[in-house]
Amino acid sequence: MKILVCIKQVPDMESRFRPNGDKTWYDESDLAFRMNEYDEYAVEQAVQLKEQLGGEPEITVLSIGPERTVEAIKKALAMGGDRAVHIRDDRYYQKDPWQIASMIASYAKGESFDLIFTGMQSQDRGSAQVGVIVAELLGLSCATTLVGFSYDGGTVTVKRELEGGIKGVAKLKLPALVTCQLGLNTPRYPTLPNIMKAKKKEIAALTPAELSGEAELTATAAIYPPAKKGGGLVLEGEIGAQVDRLMGILKEKTAVLR
Amino acid sequence: MFLDLTEEQKLIQETARNFARSELEPLAAKLDREGDRPAFLANLKKLAELGFMGLNVQGEYGGSEAGVVAFSVAMTEIARACASTAVTVSVNNMVCEVIQTIGSQEQKEKYIPLICSGAYAAGSFALTETGAGSDPAGMTTTAVLDGDSWVLNGSKIFITSAPYAGVFVVWAVTDREAPKGKGISCFLVEQGTPGLVIGKQEEKTGQHASATNELVFDNCRIPKDALMGKLNDGFRIAVAELGGGRIGIGSLALGVGLAAMDYATRYSTERVQFGQKISSFQAIQWKIADSYTELEAARLLLMSAAFRKESGRPFAKEASMAKLFATEAANRACYNAVQMLGGYGYTADFPVERYARDVRITSIYEGTSEIQRVIIAREILKNFS
Repeated sequence: MKILVCIKQVPDMESRFRPNGDKTWYDESDLAFRMNEYDEYAVEQAVQLKEQLGGEPEITVLSIGPERTVEAIKKALAMGGDRAVHIRDDRYYQKDPWQIASMIASYAKGESFDLIFTGMQSQDRGSAQVGVIVAELLGLSCATTLVGFSYDGGTVTVKRELEGGIKGVAKLKLPALVTCQLGLNTPRYPTLPNIMKAKKKEIAALTPAELSGEAELTATAAIYPPAKKGGGLVLEGEIGAQVDRLMGILKEKTAVLR
Repeated sequence: MFLDLTEEQKLIQETARNFARSELEPLAAKLDREGDRPAFLANLKKLAELGFMGLNVQGEYGGSEAGVVAFSVAMTEIARACASTAVTVSVNNMVCEVIQTIGSQEQKEKYIPLICSGAYAAGSFALTETGAGSDPAGMTTTAVLDGDSWVLNGSKIFITSAPYAGVFVVWAVTDREAPKGKGISCFLVEQGTPGLVIGKQEEKTGQHASATNELVFDNCRIPKDALMGKLNDGFRIAVAELGGGRIGIGSLALGVGLAAMDYATRYSTERVQFGQKISSFQAIQWKIADSYTELEAARLLLMSAAFRKESGRPFAKEASMAKLFATEAANRACYNAVQMLGGYGYTADFPVERYARDVRITSIYEGTSEIQRVIIAREILKNFS
């Protein structure tokens, strides 16, 4: 079995974000970067499947981004990936989900992966489109927002998170692509010996030009922080009236009293 | 010049930080106040399984081969959450390294994997005695060869991890006629050896979860091959290995200092007095500026000492400078943090009083600040005479 896991490196979400010079992305200077949280679930699920199958599947990790992305790739390798492909692209943030997915599909087409894991979305752009577009381009069966995964004899059974707390179950035939959601698993900490050993694993470098020349379909016009809202609402007056107003607000605007 | 961590070092730092935040921090206050040894030891076991007990130890003995810089950044991250856990990890690493440096092949193969894997919760470093603290060469514990065994008599004090250590690195006088410091040897003593008595546990000001005990050797008989390194060469070994331990303790102090200042700084942006956030007062801003500046200087000194050790260069002076400066800076940072919280900083409802208690020992153990200055001055004066 051949498994592909697509990961993205994103800023630490505790960072303070500022728009960059041309106001189409955030300013990356002085940010600390991590593996996208949802992609950690994807890596973990792939490694668990490899373990379930006695180590037989080969896990390829793919990421698109500048040089710093290697750190996230190495983490995925330390968690249990076998080899990696780094699509080295300093202008990755100017590409829309269609272009990103086209590059991934262009690489994956010749590799005939049986199963592709991606995060449900990235924590920075959050389009949640890349996985499904890759599946469409490659003609794979696809399920999104996984909170449960099992594999048995060529069939993948997934539990999906739907709106309003409802769960759904689906069965997929291979080859398939799934996107992973919080709650699917608890990603392992990479052990220190594995972090050091990951240094020796292959990271093949590709350039966007070798993969796909698709033009963008969606251009980012502007990125900006939301306007600052005024302070909270201060209730004044007689205490009984304040309580009544507070109760009214809680009933109307929140689910606390329902 | 390149001042960034490598990708591997960054990943180790991230792993240590994530583990410390989710596993150590939630437990730290409880460990401090009421103690929970099973939970404390369970976390040490998890840290061992992740490879934190032998950061600078070769893979063939179960180590991580991650180096000294990685050791330093890992210690800082662990100490940000729990100083008691951090000191235990630091000592375990030092014990593994001393065995790796001077142990026989059999000793290395037997003991280092037991500590690195977590099969032993800890290893202990038994040097200090009641009358031999800053002056360890003044020790009086003796080891006498009797047939096929060494017989140890005497006592040690302030021994970290004694109740749950699997093995002790013990220094004892083997030649009473030799000049001071020239007749001391180093031994490996297993927990449970008859005649090895774990004595009173100290009631310390801080770092409560990490046990600190007296050790008594009462005709404690160990095999002849429990001698580690060359006979009568033990003191030189102890002095050399403490240099590495000092990087660990300096890094630990940095972590506690950062935790205290991060907490106090966040607090200062919320606490209102005189109708404004106290972070808007210059009195508070100067504390923030001074402490973070000192802690950053401490970090760079630690990185420099760690890098020198990792590169196989002399590092004793740099390790002492880093330990001296980092522990004193961290003490000042914790003092400032309590001050910034005012009365609340003195209560157990906020963690800064724990940081202030935990950090106090760092300028004392693994060589006091005064002894670090002796070492630093001696190393400098060598070049002027």
